[in-house]
Amino acid sequence: MSGLRERLSRLRATESVEQVTSDAPQQSVGDEPVLSPDFLHIGVELQHNESGQFLLRRIEYPLPYQYGKYDLKNLLSCASYLQPITLRQNQQTQSPEDKIDPYRLLFLDTETTGLGVGTGNVPFMIGFGYYTEQAFVVEQTLIRHPGEEKAMLTYLLGHMQDKTHLVTYNGRTFDWPVLVNRFILNGWRRSSQEPRHLDFLHPSRALWRNTLPSCRLSVVEEARLGIQRGEDVPGSLAPALYFQYLSDGNASHLHGVYSHNEKDILTLASLSVHFGLLLSEMMSREAIEAQEGEELFRTACWLEQHGNTEYAEQLFSVLSDMEDSSEGEGWSLALAARYKRSGQHERALPIWRRSAVKAEKSSTPKIAAHVELAIYYEHRDKQLLTALNYAEKALELVFRRARLMSDLAKRKEEKEAIQHRVARLRHKVSREKE
Amino acid sequence: MNPWTEKTESVDEWLELLRSKPELMENVTHWHTQPARPARTAQLPEGVHPKLAHALQQKGITDLYTHQAASYKAVAAGHHVVTVTPTASGKTLCYNLPVIQKLLEDESARALYLFPTKALAQDQVAELQELANLMEVDIKTHTYDGDTPPTVRQAIRNAGHIVVTNPDMLHSAILPHHTKWVKLFENIKFIIIDELHAYRGVFGSHVANVIRRLKRICRFYGSEPQFLCASATIRNPQEHAERLIGENVALVDDNGAPTGERHMVFYNPPVVNKQLGIRRSSVLESQKLATMLLKSGIQTIVFARSRVRVEILLTYLQDSIKKELGTKSIRGYRGGYLPKLRREIERGLRNGEIRGVVSTNALELGIDIGQLQACVLNGYPGTIASTWQQSGRAGRRLGSSVTFLVASSNPLDQYLIQNPDYFLGRPPEEARIHPDNLLILLDHLKCAAYELPFEAHDTFGGEKLTDLLEFLAEEKVLHRVGNRWYWMEQAFPAHNISLRSAAQENFVIIDQTEGHRVIGEVDRFSAPTLIHEEAIYLHEGVQYQVEKLDYPEKKAYVRKVNVDYFTDASMAVELKVLHVDLESTSGPLERQYGEVTVMAKPTIFKKIRLRTHENVGSGPIHLPEEILHTSGYWFSFSGDESGKRSANDMQMALLGLANVLIHLAPLHLMCDPLDIRVVPQVKALHTKRPTIYFYDRYPGGIGLSQRLYEKHDELLAEAQRLIVGCGCLSGCPACVGPIEEVGLLGKDLALSLLQVTRESS
Repeated sequence: MSGLRERLSRLRATESVEQVTSDAPQQSVGDEPVLSPDFLHIGVELQHNESGQFLLRRIEYPLPYQYGKYDLKNLLSCASYLQPITLRQNQQTQSPEDKIDPYRLLFLDTETTGLGVGTGNVPFMIGFGYYTEQAFVVEQTLIRHPGEEKAMLTYLLGHMQDKTHLVTYNGRTFDWPVLVNRFILNGWRRSSQEPRHLDFLHPSRALWRNTLPSCRLSVVEEARLGIQRGEDVPGSLAPALYFQYLSDGNASHLHGVYSHNEKDILTLASLSVHFGLLLSEMMSREAIEAQEGEELFRTACWLEQHGNTEYAEQLFSVLSDMEDSSEGEGWSLALAARYKRSGQHERALPIWRRSAVKAEKSSTPKIAAHVELAIYYEHRDKQLLTALNYAEKALELVFRRARLMSDLAKRKEEKEAIQHRVARLRHKVSREKE
Repeated sequence: MNPWTEKTESVDEWLELLRSKPELMENVTHWHTQPARPARTAQLPEGVHPKLAHALQQKGITDLYTHQAASYKAVAAGHHVVTVTPTASGKTLCYNLPVIQKLLEDESARALYLFPTKALAQDQVAELQELANLMEVDIKTHTYDGDTPPTVRQAIRNAGHIVVTNPDMLHSAILPHHTKWVKLFENIKFIIIDELHAYRGVFGSHVANVIRRLKRICRFYGSEPQFLCASATIRNPQEHAERLIGENVALVDDNGAPTGERHMVFYNPPVVNKQLGIRRSSVLESQKLATMLLKSGIQTIVFARSRVRVEILLTYLQDSIKKELGTKSIRGYRGGYLPKLRREIERGLRNGEIRGVVSTNALELGIDIGQLQACVLNGYPGTIASTWQQSGRAGRRLGSSVTFLVASSNPLDQYLIQNPDYFLGRPPEEARIHPDNLLILLDHLKCAAYELPFEAHDTFGGEKLTDLLEFLAEEKVLHRVGNRWYWMEQAFPAHNISLRSAAQENFVIIDQTEGHRVIGEVDRFSAPTLIHEEAIYLHEGVQYQVEKLDYPEKKAYVRKVNVDYFTDASMAVELKVLHVDLESTSGPLERQYGEVTVMAKPTIFKKIRLRTHENVGSGPIHLPEEILHTSGYWFSFSGDESGKRSANDMQMALLGLANVLIHLAPLHLMCDPLDIRVVPQVKALHTKRPTIYFYDRYPGGIGLSQRLYEKHDELLAEAQRLIVGCGCLSGCPACVGPIEEVGLLGKDLALSLLQVTRESS
């Protein structure tokens, strides 16, 4: 043992409590041309190209293929309607090339060794899917060690060549930047245009951020796409499983990762169907209107943003007859605010009134509706007494709620604003009487 | 002088006034005058781009100082260059000139500027921008640091010609994401490292490794930039630069900038108790001198060694001049003030609204505060280089300036004040780094592997690379494939590695007098002694008491108080020897060098009354123990020697000797006095003998103890000279320590013990 080794081992003794005890055979994974049965067993094959070798697993899902609520085949008819999403995400003006052709979409999901988009984060598995005339195809590439990376990336680039868009879940800020790192590290430079993105994370958040506990893909698919994964290795465990494989060469550690990645790609296709149907207005009216108010409201807003204004308007009017059962600052006040902005006060009024009644019955009342009504009657309808009524009621509610609020400054601010309004209205009312 | 206001027209006139006051002059032990020096210039070199020449002309620059011309030439010849110049000598032009020249010739060229702090970076951008505007060319200069808004980051990465940043940012944000900086790294022509002298000790050792990583990345992108460095005066600028960047470097040190006359006055506070060797407090004397200067209208900077000292001095000074100037015109400045406040103070100093500032060495670096007229050093700053740097804050190109060195009662200060030739005749210290400190090296090896895989024939530092890589592979951090090692871990290694000290994160200080407001921060090492519960924390002259220290969350909750004392905490230290690397025996003395583990725990704090500095109470501190694995050097005395003395006498002798050595050691090492620690033990665990330990206060050690091991004889000879030369009777704070600490015979005991060691060598 050299002096340096000795010092290093002393360091280890004092530095880390966890001793590394594993005497696992090093270098058990390598470039052997024969794959272990554990790989063959799940349909993995060795692939070669000019940059070396890597592993590939290919699965075909003949169409039609029902996955959860949707048939993946449905995308073929509604994919073109997804265009508004990519226009927003790629900040481009419309051009005929942007037309979405389902056969030119690449559904992409990577499994990486770490978090973040630093140069040391390695995608050890790249899964991607695409449509052919007869099937939805999933291909999963894997490297047995970082030395095989270049061959894997070469293969991926080959598949990207005739594709226009990457369909991902958070791929715009994660998967793609990580892949760009790898391209640069392998000596490639950007020569042509970046692929366009169709990233469903943001649309999913827009619809479900208030109604689902989280917008993780696994949560979304189960709650909204009708997909039951059953036994699944969470994505966060993938790095650890891969490290385990690296240290002992046992491919069975990776089975769970393969199946997790495969399902993620299928879900991406299914999610595309969901948004495609929504934007193409082919989704059944009943299904949409069966949503609870909050989600329906978010859906309508999202459709409006993506150019389906008429459809959105219809949904808004469905909403204006609905009861807002949510606690706190629910969707109904947001809806009323929307009507107020567009000058449709007559549509906002009933919503405020309903909301005010609800507030007065609540033990933790919010005063927003009263304030809106006071403003309306003071400035629009010029019924000062009614306005004063609502303002005074609001003040009463503030006092009723005061003990429950912990934020002193905010409480004071709110109270003073209302007191000010009440005082002004009283003054106006008394002047009017004179 | 105006006899009514005592305002003087110039520093010269003020110095006359001082000379006429015998009660002050009798404390002056030495008065050193450096005559004014005219400028030495050279013509603008041939081939300087006409636009650049024109812009310089508009700034009133037609000639270059000799050092600027020399460095331009050396850069043109393709050398890496280090320029050594004092403050305010036009050093930025030494590197800006070649950089801008290059950018004018080649629009695609890029340069990276490194400054030790964010504030310095901002000054630099302003200056470069001004030049670019004068030339009417589009040279994009940007700072890239923690304050850079995310929205402009991408533009800077792709299009910035000159990126100005700091080593920390390079380490944790730029290098680990180098793929986003392809444009920069493919076209990088120059790397500028200013304030080179600041990169010493632990920090310098880290930075040297960051530069190793930077060079690796540049090589990967096929570029080979030139390093242009600038340093304040140190003894070994060339060697230091070469160690830091790992390349041969050309030295330019022919300073051609003019200076006015400069006075350096050595001032020793008068003795108030001869027996005990007690002098008047240096804080009070510094305050007196600074007050005199400020009242005369002379813009003055006061340097103090610690944050607490800064705040105490600030309080005293604001109090004594509030009638004449108002408290806003004299400010404090130190690490822990928030950036916005610091910028405001810098601005005030430049435009003259602020007349006085009390600072720690935070202002020693090249932050632009203009040139002041007078400088008061409260206590010797610890190194000759630092002293010249701080003193350089006062001194304009025209007119005189003065620096007072006010000695404190610690042995080093007293030694210097009585031997001014030691200070004046000696070149400034060496800057030392130890980039191959195993822990530091391993940390950066991880970061480097994260950035790019290693190959067996790569080099990184002086240790055998394959051994290190194998070690990391066994730790399952790297994965070996053939002759390559790849990063293979989930973590992002740069996040857990801080360049500044072992302290990973700062403690924030939250004032809860009214609501919650963050008023400052303290690094982890200082936290146990500065912001333990019940401590008085001073901030901008205001006293706060720490009510709660949330150690795991790194937060201290304080409330404004008004008390007449400050607090001072003590630490208990335990030491264990892990491994002996070097040893030698001579006579009764055994010397060893090796690895040690140090366990330190704060124990109690004292309350010390303001102004009189008497002890008015104390209390316990309950905080967890800090464990440090580092390198140490120790010497012990044979059983014979200890047999000749009682245990108590031995204790006093060791303590006295240790007190002297701890002050002399940093002088020999040119390190911050806080970087090396000393512990005397009558019966040490390891040697079972009376022993004095030194250890590096940094995990893994940074080579300080090893140098002390080598310099042992010289160090002890110096210690003997100091004790013998001290005028006190039986020990005082200026040599072995006050008699309360080492007893009535402390001085003799220490001397007789020293005698033993001297005879044996």
